[in-house]
Formats: sequence, structure tokens, C-alpha cells
Amino acid sequence: MNKDMNPAQSGALAGLRVIDFGQGVSAPHCARLFADYGADVIKVEPPEGDAARRSGPYPGDIADGERSGLYFFHNTNKRGVTCKVEHPEGRRLFLDLVKQADVLIENNLPRQMRHWKLDYATLAELNPQLVMISITPFGQTGPYSEWNGYDLNAYHLTGASARYCGRPGEMPLEHGTFSADYFGSVTAAAWGLAAVFGRDMAGGGQQVDVSCAEAIAAAFVGGQNIGGLAQDGRWDSRTGVGMPLGAPATILPCKDGHVWMLALEVGQWRGLRKAMGDPEWAALDMFDDMYSRAQNADLIYELMRDWLMSHGKMEIMEICQAAGCPVTAVFTIDEAVHHPHLQARDYFVDIEHPALGRLSCLGAPFKLPACPGGPRAPAPLLGQHNHDVYGGLLGLPAAEIERLHALGIL
Amino acid sequence: MTSKLPLQGIRVINFGWVWAGPVVGQTLGFLGAEVLKIESRARIDMTRNLPPFAEGVPGPDRSLSNHACWAGNGSVTVDLKRAAGRDLVMKLIAEADVVIENFGPGVMERMGFGYAALRAVRPDIILFSMPAAGLYGPLDHVRTYGLSLTSLTGLDSLVGYKDGPPIPVENAYSDPFAGIFGGFAILTALHHRRRTGEGQHIDFSQQEAVMQMVGPAYMDHALNGRVGGPRGNEHPTAALAPHGVFPCRGDDRWIAIATGSDAEWKALVHAMGTPQWATDPAFSTVAGRLQAIDRIHAELGRWTQDHDDRALAARLQEAGVAATPVLKVADLLDDPHYRARGTFIEVRHPLGFRETIYGAYVKLSRTPAEVRPGPVMGQDNDRAFLEILKLPPEEYQRLKEDRVIY
Repeated sequence: MNKDMNPAQSGALAGLRVIDFGQGVSAPHCARLFADYGADVIKVEPPEGDAARRSGPYPGDIADGERSGLYFFHNTNKRGVTCKVEHPEGRRLFLDLVKQADVLIENNLPRQMRHWKLDYATLAELNPQLVMISITPFGQTGPYSEWNGYDLNAYHLTGASARYCGRPGEMPLEHGTFSADYFGSVTAAAWGLAAVFGRDMAGGGQQVDVSCAEAIAAAFVGGQNIGGLAQDGRWDSRTGVGMPLGAPATILPCKDGHVWMLALEVGQWRGLRKAMGDPEWAALDMFDDMYSRAQNADLIYELMRDWLMSHGKMEIMEICQAAGCPVTAVFTIDEAVHHPHLQARDYFVDIEHPALGRLSCLGAPFKLPACPGGPRAPAPLLGQHNHDVYGGLLGLPAAEIERLHALGIL
Repeated sequence: MTSKLPLQGIRVINFGWVWAGPVVGQTLGFLGAEVLKIESRARIDMTRNLPPFAEGVPGPDRSLSNHACWAGNGSVTVDLKRAAGRDLVMKLIAEADVVIENFGPGVMERMGFGYAALRAVRPDIILFSMPAAGLYGPLDHVRTYGLSLTSLTGLDSLVGYKDGPPIPVENAYSDPFAGIFGGFAILTALHHRRRTGEGQHIDFSQQEAVMQMVGPAYMDHALNGRVGGPRGNEHPTAALAPHGVFPCRGDDRWIAIATGSDAEWKALVHAMGTPQWATDPAFSTVAGRLQAIDRIHAELGRWTQDHDDRALAARLQEAGVAATPVLKVADLLDDPHYRARGTFIEVRHPLGFRETIYGAYVKLSRTPAEVRPGPVMGQDNDRAFLEILKLPPEEYQRLKEDRVIY
């Protein structure tokens, strides 16, 4: 491939131009999904760079804005420019980019966008076809819309943690990753791309207002709980156990780690018995019913212990799956990476990055056989494509770009 | 200019069952697509029989959680065990743009709905398959439940109290996540079809889609060979401190506090009344705070525990600190923010009762989604067979009497 060519020009979304004016995780990840599938994504960073550049993981834990793993993961296949939008000349450049874009993806607080005079009403006047995807913890409207918030705040505002994760009496837990940001990202990608696809039908562009908290409170927690709460005032809290109404249905320790131990239906329970070598205790008639097993869950988990502690997680998964029982090993990151399944599906891709060298990256999140997607080009260095974009797309002479650079606008 | 929902005119046949597959249909349905879910009284989806039920009366058209999770889908009832039923569905597919399924690999082929067969009746069809671990590979037939699927991605190994064992997430976060994500996947294929006229068979491995969520831990592994583990509510890449959930006054009341900058930390210290412990000069930088995170979190917890969660969050927000109450399910309906945004809506079900489901959880400024109650079994049979397939009424009647349409 010609190295001056934007690498993201084939794929399902080729022909779409996206401006990524986000930082951190949610908006950059959403824009990366567009870039994965061929949209021309231009990432606009403030002169000091996306905040993700100030977060690790860094190789050897040595902080370096060009070597952030967090930044790399969320910004592959994008071109990168810098722009100080609070400066009038910077703002003008940004507006010129937006005029040529189909989509703007951003995750700034609403008041910040208004302060910069980059709110949807202003942008829509310049480009009525623009789809502006705004992903924030709380959304564009409502009493919390002006609140400061991060992924953690959004997640715990949904009911998901208090309902579904942690031991009773101890603090509710998120998932050890940016769960709210990712949920917001994929939600925004789906609804946002629909708004782009249907622009003629809808009669133009529009703003897609995504609250990470609201999406989870609705589609995850609300779906399962809101009807019963409204009708009967019924609600539940976390138990610290996987599924209190059935057993075995929890994560249990084994010889070399943990397994997700699940055997609910009769056939699954019989499969598990067989996998364990038909121990005498498991033959009790009362244990044929998952509810009576649930009532004796602690006892059953104790009785399973010897077998579990004498077998490895992969072996347990293999024997149980072969016996028709849906037990899975709790893969560590390392085990997930090295599992032959993901290798056989070519899930991982190697990418060469000027500062990080050659590194392995998670590949396309889904496979489109007719127009394959996934990361191909590395995340941009800070301002790497200033000349390419401001010169090529906006037609600024090199001297003008230099002048803007000297003024600190780029 | 009239505004129509963006996906108006797109027709979807949805074989999806339980949760993830129906959410794919829901996502497209909320956006204007006509989604016909195929189901049958001959084999009722187990989620249709999940309590609680409307007015406490059990029945496959009265499960409140089912209605919320399936809203946006229509329903066409056909017995797929009957050849005549499969023929009918194939005729509907010939009139459709997209087919969704979340069976295991090979099931669609065995029913005669493999991609090649679908293409024969509709050359540009988009078939969306979302098996647990994809359509091929050594684990292609792995059995999982939604709540354990995440164990194959590494995600479950990250959930738990700091340095403790993994703690299970007690419901399938991956189902709505993958369901909505699937909506995006189908839209990429619709774009491709519009440009090229070509359909395709999307291989959407839920494992691979959900594994996106472990990206940060994956990068630490790729760059440093490190294998992450549970870290409570601490920042996933250890870039911020403090960053956690702290006890408040009352039963199971907590507050989530994250400080994104030194200025926010200063504001927090000031809001606490500048206690002695917080004035340690080492704490003025994030590096210093990360070093002492256990101590800082313990001190913070001692301070928050006598406060009301909501009042404290409001006060901290006044000072510019990112703080939110940790909501329980019980708090969701009355929360002023969700009320203002219409997150949950009361609707009148066609069978006459009122129920509360979630509404359009994304706000589109030009074409707001219209959310109707979850489908009554067979509510779209007339539409499917009389309007779309234009069956003679007597044949339609006969197929119903024969329980092919059932």
C-alpha cells in the first residue's frame, strides 16, 4: 500500500468522514469502530494531546505520551491532528473540518462544548447533514448533565453494581475495566451509524445524545428489573454468588485458577456428575433438582472441592463441555491471548508503531467476509497528520500551517 | 421535509432468542426497521415465562422482563419443526433485508436456513450470526450462558476485590452489550450493501466483541507481559487516585468518587475541610496519591460514612468533584435524572394491562425513537402473511388451523 494513502479507505464504511473530538475511552473507541470498518477518521486533539496519552500502560511503566497503550488501543486507523479550539483561529479550522465531515464523535461535557461554541445548534447551521454523536456519562439533558463524571461514576449510577456485583455488605463493584465507557461506545456506534445511514429518510443530520449511565440503566439493569419494581415494588441486591436460584452456578477455585461452574438443567447436572467420575454424594435424588441444589449450594460446593482442586481449569472445561455441561475456564488475559481458538480465528493483528515498535493488537470485533475490517494502521503520533489534513483536505499552504504551529494553535 | 425514522424501509427477520438476539432486533426496531421475530407456541422462549408477570398472572404474554428486553421486535408465530412453516419463513426472508440468529453454529443450516439457502431466495441478504465464540475455530461449539461467556474473554479475571479471587457478575452484561453492538455490525453491512449491492454473512463472535472491553488490560499484557487481576473499583490503568466507592450513611449506601486531576483532588480536600492527613505534600501529585491509595481510600471512607450519599454527591459536584451516589435498583424509577430523560416509560400492553419498560435510552434530536410494548405472540401474523406474502385468506386460515402458523 502506498504509504501516503490513508490506510482506512477500504471497508464497509469507506467514503464516510468522521471527526473524533474525544478523549479517553468512550468517544475514541466509538470512532475506532468506524475506523475499523473503513471510515476516514480524523482525530482532533488539543495541543497537549488526548488525556489517554497521560495514562498507561506504557512499556516498562515509563510515562511517554507517544507510548501509551490506552491511547494506542483506541486510536488505530486514524489520522491525527492537533487544534486549539479555544483560540479563534483554531476554532475556525475545526469548523472547516466539521463542514467536510459526515460524523462528529465527542465526549466533552455539554457545558464545555457550549463554552467553545461548538454545540450542536452551532455546528448544524454550518453542516445540516452532520451527525453529531455525543457520548457523556450522563447525557446532554437532565439534572446531572452538568455534573463532572468519569466511567466509574456513570457505572455506579445504573444500579448494575449494587444489583449484580460484589458481596452483600461490601462495596459494589465495577468490572475492572471501563465498562460504562464501552457500553456507551457501542451504543453510540449503533445508533449513530443508523442516523448516518438514514440521513435521507430522516431529512438530514442530527445529534445522537448517549448517556453511558442511561444506556446501562435501561438496557441492562432496567430490562431485567424495572417492570417488577414499578408494578410490585420488588427489587433485589447482589448476592456475591453467580445465580442464587440454581446451583452449581458460580465461580469456583480449582487447581490452577478458577472455573465458571454452571450445571442447571438436568442433562447438564448429569454431565457434570459424569465429569466428576460419578461421586456417591451427587447421586442423591434430591440433587436432581436445581432448586434443591441451590438450597444446598454451600454443601455442594464443599463436596466438589476435592475434585476441583485436583484438576486444572482447561481440563475441567474440556471434560465438562464434552459431557454437555456449560462450564468454562476463567481465562486470564494471558490464557485468552494464547488460546488456540482465537489464534485459529486470526483475532490478533501485529501493527508497527513508530514509538512502540511492533506490537500485537486485538483485531476486528466482528468479521465481515465481504469487506474485512479491523486495525491496520497504528494510532497517530501527536499532530502527525497536520500537514496531510490541513494541507490536503483544507488546502492550507505549508507556510500557513507553520504560522499556526508557531502560534501554538496546532 | 418529513422526518422518518432512519431505518424505515428495512425489514428484518429475527430468529434471535433469550436476550442477546432479541436486543439486536430491538436496536434496529427502535431506529425504525420493521423487525419480525420468529417464534412459536410449539416451543416458547423461556424468557417469556420468567416472573414477575403483569398483574401477577403467569403466562407467556405477561413476563415484564421479557417485554422490556424484546420491545422493538414484532412477533410472527411459525412452527419451524414443520416443513410448511419453514417454507413460510423462507418466503418472508425473500422479502427481507436482514436475518438475525443467535443459535450455535450449524443450527440454521440444519433448519434449511444456511446462508447459501438464504441467498438463493434473496441474493443480497445480510445474515447476522452471533454464536458464543464465532462460526469456526476449536471452540466453535462451546456452551456458555451469557453470564459466563465473559470468562472466555479474560474479563471475569479482572472483576473482584483488590488482590482477591474473581467475583461473578450476576447477570449477562454481555447480552445487551453484544446485542446493541450487533446492531452496529448489521449497519456496517447495510452500508456496504448500499455501495456495492452485495450482502454477506456476518460472523459475530460474542467472545471477540466483548473482548474489546479488556483492551486496556490486553495492552498491558502486550507491552509488559503483565497479567491483570481484580482491583476493586480502582482505576483500570492506575492513572487516577483516589478512584473508588465509599460507604455512606444508611443501609447499603455508597458514593463513587473519582479525581481526574490535581485540581479536582484539591477541591475534594477543601470540601472535606482540609483534614490533616490530606495535606501531606506527597498527595499533591497523582503519582504520590497512587502510591498511598490504600491509605487515602481508607481515610476517605471514614469521612464519607457519616454522610448521606445524595447530599454528599451534590455537594462534591458543587465543588467540581466527580461524585455520584451508587444507585440500587430501588432508586431507578424515582431518580430525578432518569425521570427527566424519560429512561423508563409506562406503556399500555395490547392485552390491556399497564407495564413499565425502558424507553429510547438514546436521544435522537430529529427522529426520536418511538417505543411500543414488547410483542404479543403472533401480533404481526396478519401483516406478515396477508400484507407481505399476500396469502389468500383461506390459506392463511388453514395454516393457522393446522398449527403451522402457531
